[in-house]
Parts: sequence; C-alpha cells; structure tokens
Amino acid sequence: MADTPAGSHAHAYTAPQAPDSAVTRGQFLTLSSVGLGAMIGAVIGVPATAYLLAPVTKEVTFEPVSLGPVSRFTGETSFKPTAATYVEDPKNPNTSAGLAWVHYTGKQNPDWLASDAMFVVFSNRCMHLGCPVMASSVGFGCPCHGGQYDTRGVRIAGPPIRPLDRFQWKIANKELIITNRWSVDFVNGKLTYYPVKMPGQPVDINGDTTAANILYPDVSYTHGPVPKPQ
Amino acid sequence: MSPSIPIPPPPSPKQMVLATEDWVEYRTGFPTLVRKFLFRKVPPTGWFHTLGSSLLTVFILQATTGALLAMTYDPSPNGAYESIRYITDQQTLGWLIRGMHKWGASMMVILLFLHMGRTFFYGAYKYPREMTWLTGSLIFISVMGMGLTGYLLVWDQRAYWASVVAVNINGTAPVLGPFISKFLLGGPVFGAQTISRFYALHMLLIPGAIGALIFVHMWLVVKLGVTPWPARPVPPDAPEPEYEPHSQTLIEEPLRVGQPATAEREREVQEVGD
Repeated sequence: MADTPAGSHAHAYTAPQAPDSAVTRGQFLTLSSVGLGAMIGAVIGVPATAYLLAPVTKEVTFEPVSLGPVSRFTGETSFKPTAATYVEDPKNPNTSAGLAWVHYTGKQNPDWLASDAMFVVFSNRCMHLGCPVMASSVGFGCPCHGGQYDTRGVRIAGPPIRPLDRFQWKIANKELIITNRWSVDFVNGKLTYYPVKMPGQPVDINGDTTAANILYPDVSYTHGPVPKPQ
Repeated sequence: MSPSIPIPPPPSPKQMVLATEDWVEYRTGFPTLVRKFLFRKVPPTGWFHTLGSSLLTVFILQATTGALLAMTYDPSPNGAYESIRYITDQQTLGWLIRGMHKWGASMMVILLFLHMGRTFFYGAYKYPREMTWLTGSLIFISVMGMGLTGYLLVWDQRAYWASVVAVNINGTAPVLGPFISKFLLGGPVFGAQTISRFYALHMLLIPGAIGALIFVHMWLVVKLGVTPWPARPVPPDAPEPEYEPHSQTLIEEPLRVGQPATAEREREVQEVGD
C-alpha cells in the first residue's frame, strides 16, 4: 500500500488477463476439488472393497481328523453305513461339524485307492444344494428335495447333478482318519476323482473337465495332485 | 419505558403456534416442505394406492423392532440361538417384538408383490415414472436380501440348512457362482464369519440402502404425482400424444421454501390479532 498514490482506489487495479487457452483459476480449483475428492474416495473405497471381497480368494486346507476306532465300523454286513461325526475346524465346532457315512466293504485292504479297499467313506453333503443325506438300504436319500443315490453314491433319482463326495482315509493306531475330501464322478463307469466343488456345480460335462472348470472353478479347498484309483 | 407507547395485547394461542411455525420456517423451510409433501393434488385413488404407504409403515416397524432386537441379539455361533430364546421366553415383551419383526418380514414381502402388481397393472412404470419403477426394483432386490440374511439369524436347524441351500443356489450361477457363494459365506465354508457377515448385511448395509432408495422413490412419487387409473381407451387412429413433463397431476409450482409470510397468512394473523 505504500506505493499506492494518495487518492487512488482499489477498483483502479486491473488484474492481469490470462491467455484464452489457459485454465482459469475457477476451473483449476474445480478440477482440484474433484481430483481431491476422488483421491479421498479411493483411500476409503479401495481398502473397504478389498476387505469385503477378501473371502472370495481364500481357500481352506482340509485337516486330517479321526472318525474313531476302526472296530466301530467293521460290523457292517449288508449295505448299512455307519454315521461318524467329526469337526473340521476345532475353532468353530458349531459350524464345521460334519458327518461321514463309513461303508465297510468286507475286504481288508487298508489302501483307500485299491479296488478291494476296506472302506468307502462318503460325505453326507447332497450334491443338489448341500442338505445332509441319510443312508438307507438302497443307498442314500436327501430329505430336502428328494435326491436319491445308490450304494456307490451315484445319483439314481432327483435333482443332484453328480455322485456324493468321498473322503480320502487312512488307518493309524487302529483309528480311521479322514485326510482329504474329493469330488467324484463315474466316467464310462470308471471312478474318477476331482478337486472339491460346491453342491450343484458339475466336475465334468460328459467326462470333459475343461468347460466345467471354466464355468465352475474349484475355489474351496487347496489340494495336491488328484488321486488316480488303481 | 415511555407511557405513550401502548402495550400490545398478549398473543393468542393460535398466533403463538403460527409464530413458532414461522420461526422454524424462516430457518429451515421444513413446514413448507411437509405441506407440499402431504397436501398435494392426486387423481381419484382407491385402496390399491395405499400399498406403498403400507410398505413404508412396515419398513418403519421392521427398523424399530430390528433395532430393539439388536440390543439383545448375539450374532455368534455359540450365542445366537440362546439369545433368541432369551428374547422370546424371558425378556419383557420380547415375544411381541420378535413376533412383530417376524410377521412384519412376511408382510413386507407380500405387500411388496401387491404394490408391484398394482404398479404393473396400472401401467405406472411408463413415462415419466421409469425411474420410480427402477428404484422400486432395487428396493425389491434389497428386501429379498433382507429375507435371505435375516432367515439365518434365528440360527436353528431350519435357518442353518435353508441358508446352506440358498448359498449353494447362488453357487450354481456360471463363472461367478463359486465366488458369489464364497462372498456370502465370508470364506470357503459355512463358519462363524458367515453369521456375523449376514448380521452386518441385515442390520447395517441393506437397511441403509433401502432407506436411501425409499427417499429417492418417494421424492419421485411426490415430484411426478400419483398415476391415475388407466381407464381412457385410446382410439387406434389417435395422434401420438404430446407429453408434457409437468402435466396437471404434477406439482404445479416448484418447491419454494423459506417464504412463510404469504399475504393470506399475514391477514389471518392480523384478523386473529384484531
């Protein structure tokens, strides 16, 4: 103000004109506000979305768990599988309680993949939509929507789209221990194992796995090499 | 105080009410907003036009009883069922609050279908009300989401297995299905995280979305007016109608707030004062 001559007023001052092509002060501030707002939104939104979607990429590993002493299951003469409960995740006993149907074949081979294996251990999860199946003299039946399976766990009636899952098992210290879960299908009458898929999702389409795996990727359990039955 | 100035008579109760209203009006504009909202022109209506406000009433009922239930409910695998039993059997009027929430949920779905049917058969989804229909559709999907997530929270056998089935139905969608079911479960398998996830969706995310959508939906209802009964047959050789966005069923003048002292009301106040 010291340089202002006496008697002159503020309106005498003329602001320097910006060239036409330049961004005006108002435009600059608008763009800055929008940009800053977008940055703040991203800082909040990106972690929130990642937090929300994190479970989608998470897989669990099946932990071996004992079904009880072998002698409990060997009394079976005709097809009458023994129910065996287990807890998959000891930290969540209420939600991870499962039930396996143990079928004693009458043979004595403790190798689960052998054609004369001692046991076949079925999952009780119906392959329609996941209800628990009950064993019967002809196989298994589901109470929810009437799916029926034969003694191999193969669908004979109702909506299930594939055979019952099976457990990989071993015998240690005279206990029957399930060590992994596999989905199965019979391709041309031959038992074939696949990584676990959720109920209602095909493991193969007429024996071809490519399309089934594109349409329904297996994303539940981590797994090693898929077993080949002898 | 100079004795020459006359002391005004004390205001009448009506003047005091009007003055209070004006005080709020000058500062917020809410009284005008409420009047515009409640006293608006509508075509001849019937009982079918009450379904929307019935739905709003049930939503308020659900929000209120839901907030009360949340004070006692324990969204954990070990505590959920016991806390529901406590609410039903021991808490004062717990059976009533839970019962209202349970029956209100069914009522909301029934009313929603009736409301949607009314809208469809009246042709109320057509121009200029397409956005009202679309926001209503989003509310419909959200209410279905409330049904899905709320069903699990009872945490009995039926709730558990119905939710297993529902999640596996989602899993049968091609390509995205396995990921959608994992997203719903909060992991690869049904677990403790599933019930807390459904609880958060049921009482925070989805109701918040429904509330916001109801606001937009009702804004559009007030702005565009109620659909008249589609009774007038259109002759086949009739010219294409020229639509005007602000026909007589719409609000005739734009919302104008913060202007309470209309001449009419001022006269009224003066008459009362005299």
